[in-house]
Amino acid sequence: MSYYNEAFENPDYHFSETLEIDRGRSSQKNLFSHQSPYDSSLHGSSGEYSGRGQNYPLAIPMASMRHDSEYSEGLPRVNVLSESPYGNSVAVNLSFEPEPELPYSPPSTFHLMDGPYTHRMSDVSEDSFIRRRNRIPPDEIFMTTSSLFETDAVCKEEEKLVGNLASMSTSERIKAIQKMPETMKKKREIRNKVLKEITKKSRHRTTQHSCCTQCLQGIVVSFRRFGNSLSEHLHLLQLWHKTLKIIGAKFGTSVLSYFIFLKWLLAFNIFSFLINFSFITIPQFVAAEPNNLSFMGLELFTGSGYFQQTVLYYGFYTNATISKIENGPTYNMQLAYIFTVGIYFVICFLILLFSMAKSFCRNFINPQAYSGNASKLLCTWDFNITNEKAVKLKQKNLSTQIKEDLTEVNREVLDFSVTERVVRIVIHLVSWVASLGTAVAACAGVYFLSINNLKLFVKEHKNDLESQAAMLVLPIVASLLNTFVPFFYSWLGHLERFQTPGQQIYVTITRNVILKISIVGILCYYWLNIVAASESQCWETLVGQDIYRLVLVDFIFCLLGSFFGEFLRRIIGTTVCVSLGPPEFDIGRNVLDLIYAQTLTWIGILFSPLLPGIQMISFSIVFYVKKVSLMMNCHPPRKVWRTAQMTTSFMFLLFFPSFLGVLSVIGVTVWRLKPSEECGPFRGLSSMYAAVSEWIKILDNYSASKWVVWIYHNLITSELFFFILSVFVL
Amino acid sequence: MGNKQTIFTPEQLDAYQDCTFFTRKEILRLFYRYRDLAPQLVPLDYTDKPDVTLPYELIGSMPELKDNPFRQRIAEVFSEDGDGNMTLDDFLDMFSVLSEMAPRDLKAYYAFKIYDFNNDDYICKSDLEKTVNKLTRNELTPEEVSLVCEKVIYEADVDNDGKLSLEDFQRMITRAPDFLR
Repeated sequence: MSYYNEAFENPDYHFSETLEIDRGRSSQKNLFSHQSPYDSSLHGSSGEYSGRGQNYPLAIPMASMRHDSEYSEGLPRVNVLSESPYGNSVAVNLSFEPEPELPYSPPSTFHLMDGPYTHRMSDVSEDSFIRRRNRIPPDEIFMTTSSLFETDAVCKEEEKLVGNLASMSTSERIKAIQKMPETMKKKREIRNKVLKEITKKSRHRTTQHSCCTQCLQGIVVSFRRFGNSLSEHLHLLQLWHKTLKIIGAKFGTSVLSYFIFLKWLLAFNIFSFLINFSFITIPQFVAAEPNNLSFMGLELFTGSGYFQQTVLYYGFYTNATISKIENGPTYNMQLAYIFTVGIYFVICFLILLFSMAKSFCRNFINPQAYSGNASKLLCTWDFNITNEKAVKLKQKNLSTQIKEDLTEVNREVLDFSVTERVVRIVIHLVSWVASLGTAVAACAGVYFLSINNLKLFVKEHKNDLESQAAMLVLPIVASLLNTFVPFFYSWLGHLERFQTPGQQIYVTITRNVILKISIVGILCYYWLNIVAASESQCWETLVGQDIYRLVLVDFIFCLLGSFFGEFLRRIIGTTVCVSLGPPEFDIGRNVLDLIYAQTLTWIGILFSPLLPGIQMISFSIVFYVKKVSLMMNCHPPRKVWRTAQMTTSFMFLLFFPSFLGVLSVIGVTVWRLKPSEECGPFRGLSSMYAAVSEWIKILDNYSASKWVVWIYHNLITSELFFFILSVFVL
Repeated sequence: MGNKQTIFTPEQLDAYQDCTFFTRKEILRLFYRYRDLAPQLVPLDYTDKPDVTLPYELIGSMPELKDNPFRQRIAEVFSEDGDGNMTLDDFLDMFSVLSEMAPRDLKAYYAFKIYDFNNDDYICKSDLEKTVNKLTRNELTPEEVSLVCEKVIYEADVDNDGKLSLEDFQRMITRAPDFLR
């Protein structure tokens, strides 16, 4: 048979002889197929059979065997099934059977078992049930199907299962059936039995209301079918599903996580753009003032000139109450602006909190446990990969890693002498000082440049090319710093000899984050303290223009970085200097770039409401450019990049420094700073927040809305509320 | 949705939808993939539940599985008689479990079965050695392989019987969230 020939030739089928051996064994096992029902609950070793068909174990929730009281307590069935990870049939083959040749221990030995299992028979106490649950989750028991239908008690088990499934709601039941680790045949049988059970029950109940409930059931069924087809169509809306799958197949889940993060940020920006556009910009179009300035091409880069009098910037928005029809419904622009921005940030906050909590719960691991060999061997294989080259590379990685681990065992034992330790600490200190020093120097440079920039603004009457171009200097310098200083940091990281590569990655990322945060921080300080207090006409628009330029230049640098970093590097790596090899996709650096861009967008929303739209376009372009660059230039990552942990830390990084920082900046702007006199929706007020307090005063006069006033006075202005809120959040 | 297809009865499709994680469209697409492997063997009409089994060589040549070092074990675990020859039911079941919609517990259960080469419901040292060799393409020496397997058993074996039971495996999985993501 060609089957066996192929098997012997291919080294991967090295162990295909197991098939023949298993066949031989399974004929032996047939002799031992009978067990008594409850004993067989411990008896999982029926799984000796090489296939699923014959003696396939039936998963039965443990609780169904006993503890009916637990059901009456309203334990959600789905939870019971999901907590129990299909464990446990193997309870039997304990130390009695050293080799699988003796699959079945005689029934008498069942009772001479280890502690954990002895309580199994004494099913009554809650206590033992809980104890079992804590130790091993033995909520399900496997039994052989052949003996199942031979014995009464086992039939009763299945009836109980069917009964329980029938009593669940439809969606829960479907989920429970889907999750059963059975053959399709078995699942279909159970499903048919359950459906019969349900129709029986409903027939009992509805002899009187037969036509009503039948109608209802018919409606429910057709509704479900409609829901199914709707979800199928919604699936089509998922952007880039196929592309992401291909990337995952060729490069593994770690690179995929970057693209998923990018897609998530893009969805976020689409959402912000829709909110801001519909609530703020569209009404503004109704009350727009004419634009007298001319359009020169350079505006796209500098954001000033023609754009100053458009909806792009805060300054253009009116502070009037807009009404299209005389005595028709009015739209108060001031309130709309501040409430839209406020509610948007609250929603962002909640979304981020939920995503973080979700991924943290899912991915929380004990770092020590993860570095063990067991998980490295059995859990790191990425079944997503379908590309042959990627598979070979992954296999090579794993073997190299295992070899390294085996030699490392000897290295760890070595104790560093005192001088060596001191030297290492000194080296670490020096590199930290160097990196922090660079960050401070970068900040100082940006600060002085920005002061210079302000001088240009104040004399903004000159609209000639030179002064416009000079405005671009600050963003270009900021982006250059953001691009090249990280290389310096990675070089430092190579110099210091860390104990594990993981440490090196974390330290480098931390330094990069510090650099980026300090640059953004110094810019915010400059904007809020200096620009706001300057004598320029419309400081918010100036800030908006600055942010626009920063975002745009950052986008251009990202594209350039992709070109130089990956395309040229590949050419160099493959033709000129072959030892370097093709480049790897640098996930950390790229993710930090995304977070930086998103931070700028968040800060800019107050000053330039259309910024999310611009960011939307730029993220889409970045996705395609990065994807093409990845496919053409890079090869799959060498190191094992702990995807789940990384995803959690990306979210974490996005939330804590980035979002909270933005919240504080916006808070300061709204509460403390005085809006400019001549432009924007808040002109003339003492602070942006004053619009709200004035509105509340007006509301006070109407008795119908006294409750709003009450909420305002007692909750929003009281610190206690915020304290409780922050405790709740944390 | 119109019932334009004549391959399955609506009840069959409903049953498939309830028993797998797939939608109607996906089930039909998978049927066409199954059929493409051997168009002369697989009829276009499944309403009378024909008993068609495709041999392992065809399944193993699918692009999704062809480079996977565990493809033989996967096919064996999901096939009805354990030799890798799959009916349409087995085929759908396999992809259902391997899809991204399957819960981790279900995948862990099947992963355990895949790694359990001799089907005794335990991952013993010989199973681990085969796994290591498959994962590293036989690049490690036998001593290294043996050493690695001993370490793995030492770390993960909680009930100290010298092999990994399903609970041991699951306990390890819950501590490693990268598993099958």
